[in-house]
Amino acid sequence: MARQTFQEATVAAIAHEMRRDRNVFIMGEDIGAFGGPLHSCKGLWDEFGAQGRVIDTPISEGGFVGAGVGAALAGKRPIVDLMFLEFMGLVIHQFGLDGGAMHYYSDGKAKVPLVVRAKYGVGPFHGHAYDFHSWLLNVPGVKVVAPATPSDAKGLMAASIRDDNPVLFMEHMGLYHAGREEVPEGEYVIPLGKADVKRRGRDVTIVASALMTKRALAAADILAQDGIEAEVVDLRTLAPLDEETVLESVARTGRLVVACEAVKSGGSASEVAALVVEKGFAHLKAPIARVAPPNVPVPFHRELEKLYLPDAGRIAEAARAAAAA
Amino acid sequence: MTQSNETLLDLYRLMVVTREVDLAVSEIDGHWHGCDGEEAVVAAAYMGLRDGDTVAPHYRGSLVAAYARGADLARLFAGIMGKATSYNRGRYRSDICGPPEFGVIGLYSGALGPPLSYATGAALAAKLDGTDAVAMAVFGDGSSSRGDCHEAMNFAASLKLPVVFLCQNNQVAISTPSRDRVAGTVADRALGYGMPGVQVDGNDAVAMVDAVAEARARARRGEGPSLIEGLTYRARGHFVSDAADPRPRDEVEAWRARNPIRLFRDRLAGDGVADTAHLDAIDAEVRDQVAAAMAQAQTDPEPGADVLGADDVYA
Ligand SMILES: Cc1ncc(C[n+]2csc(CCOP(=O)(O)OP(=O)(O)O)c2C)c(N)n1
Repeated sequence: MARQTFQEATVAAIAHEMRRDRNVFIMGEDIGAFGGPLHSCKGLWDEFGAQGRVIDTPISEGGFVGAGVGAALAGKRPIVDLMFLEFMGLVIHQFGLDGGAMHYYSDGKAKVPLVVRAKYGVGPFHGHAYDFHSWLLNVPGVKVVAPATPSDAKGLMAASIRDDNPVLFMEHMGLYHAGREEVPEGEYVIPLGKADVKRRGRDVTIVASALMTKRALAAADILAQDGIEAEVVDLRTLAPLDEETVLESVARTGRLVVACEAVKSGGSASEVAALVVEKGFAHLKAPIARVAPPNVPVPFHRELEKLYLPDAGRIAEAARAAAAA
Repeated sequence: MTQSNETLLDLYRLMVVTREVDLAVSEIDGHWHGCDGEEAVVAAAYMGLRDGDTVAPHYRGSLVAAYARGADLARLFAGIMGKATSYNRGRYRSDICGPPEFGVIGLYSGALGPPLSYATGAALAAKLDGTDAVAMAVFGDGSSSRGDCHEAMNFAASLKLPVVFLCQNNQVAISTPSRDRVAGTVADRALGYGMPGVQVDGNDAVAMVDAVAEARARARRGEGPSLIEGLTYRARGHFVSDAADPRPRDEVEAWRARNPIRLFRDRLAGDGVADTAHLDAIDAEVRDQVAAAMAQAQTDPEPGADVLGADDVYA
């Protein structure tokens, strides 16, 4: 075990995979000797730079994500550091519409083992906060991963690199340098598409991911003081969704709150809610609550930002209402 | 082109504003992307525009662009803190996004590149309306690698739109030297698009303002876009608290020695445009103005919950 931050654990997984498989390489802006904004690639240049496997790119997102798709088609396993998730808007065509379709449209002959990493999230870095992952849930063929802890970041990054599909790996800036935990050393792989029950409880299920998982766990502490036992299901992978774990939990609790950092309209929380309505309706004892930001762009002033983003109090409140219904 | 003494002194004043804004904001915002060393390019880009013109400034210098178009400095500073008195009441940051009511197109997400097309669109509107308005499309050397930059240039040149493309080439993008990741020179690209392109000493204020004036005049005459590359240097880190500036110290020092404000001051005094007492008076007046605006902004109120405006997204 090593005590690592989210950022360190993520980079450790990348380094491990780069040692293991020479087809893995990484490219992005300022990731070479500089080490990447917010240290996103710290240490990789020293170990792999001389091999030409850590590549500084021009500010040409469409070009280098497209080149990532092309290199993946040619047998490489590229990792692209997109820097910030808001730039997904510039590359959704290459990454999603084309990259996600190639395997299916070629009847299995093409595959695109590409990881795009991106920082996002309301947090200490005041800007580039947009959480746009929900868009990609509407694009067949891509996977979306959003870890909540350093260990999960490590295991999920390893699995993302080994996966044969385009994967978006989301790195929340509010979790990035926010404390260390024990992370398994060496080989550590967490399968994609599997949720993790981060806390057991019988009264209400709270489904979340990334920073919202942390806040859901804090909400569960608040609820415990009132004698309400919340179960926290951390999705870890938003696409494909682990339907089984969500449905199994709701079957026991009968109550569902979904916390999400993406805006409510068209957000991934709606997908979880729809799943439970469709396949778990008989178990529901209360209306489903979605706790998510209002339908506005992330506001700038810190107080507005706080009003925008769900906190533990608001998640607890929704869970309390569900439990009382 | 010869500029009037009045224009030259306006230019000097705007350069000093650029510097004083930098110093003032650096004290309250560690994330401020300053213009130290780039004042000549910034001031020349945004000076002397007319009503009806549009600017899509490079983010570094955006606040000065808004000020030059007539926005109030205290309200712009308020926007750096997200105060209720800012032009958008705290909803968005004024350091990279100026108020559109002054003909400024900012970064509405954090992505570099798209505003260059928005400027081109403003020029298209001017052409459709038959006015002689122009649009300034300003970008960094790093941003010149964005597809949007190439697309905007080809679009503007093929439709002969009144755009002035101006590259604020400070020779680095975060940590990446332009010599490593910008192939060829930016100015030379103009040839490929069939428009005039010049590389100008970006620390020479007069050369910069001359080049901008010529390109604007050409655009106003309906002769289409031009490209100016102002070669300058980022004298400090990427942002104020950026500790990791990997550039060679002697290179940084050599460029700092060519500070554009100092060079311009010497020239104005040497050419007899103004004596040093006059220039000192401008400096002092600007310093007071900036200090007063900052003091005002700092005591301004924070936004209330109503500003979140969950029902305000649609026009
Ligand atoms: C499309 C896009 N890619 C990356 C970034 C992140 N980023 C912010 S500033 C910057 C450097 C820009 O370099 P340049 O255009 O030369 O401007 P400078 O900072 O040197 O003034 C980068 C890469 C961004 N904001 N937008």
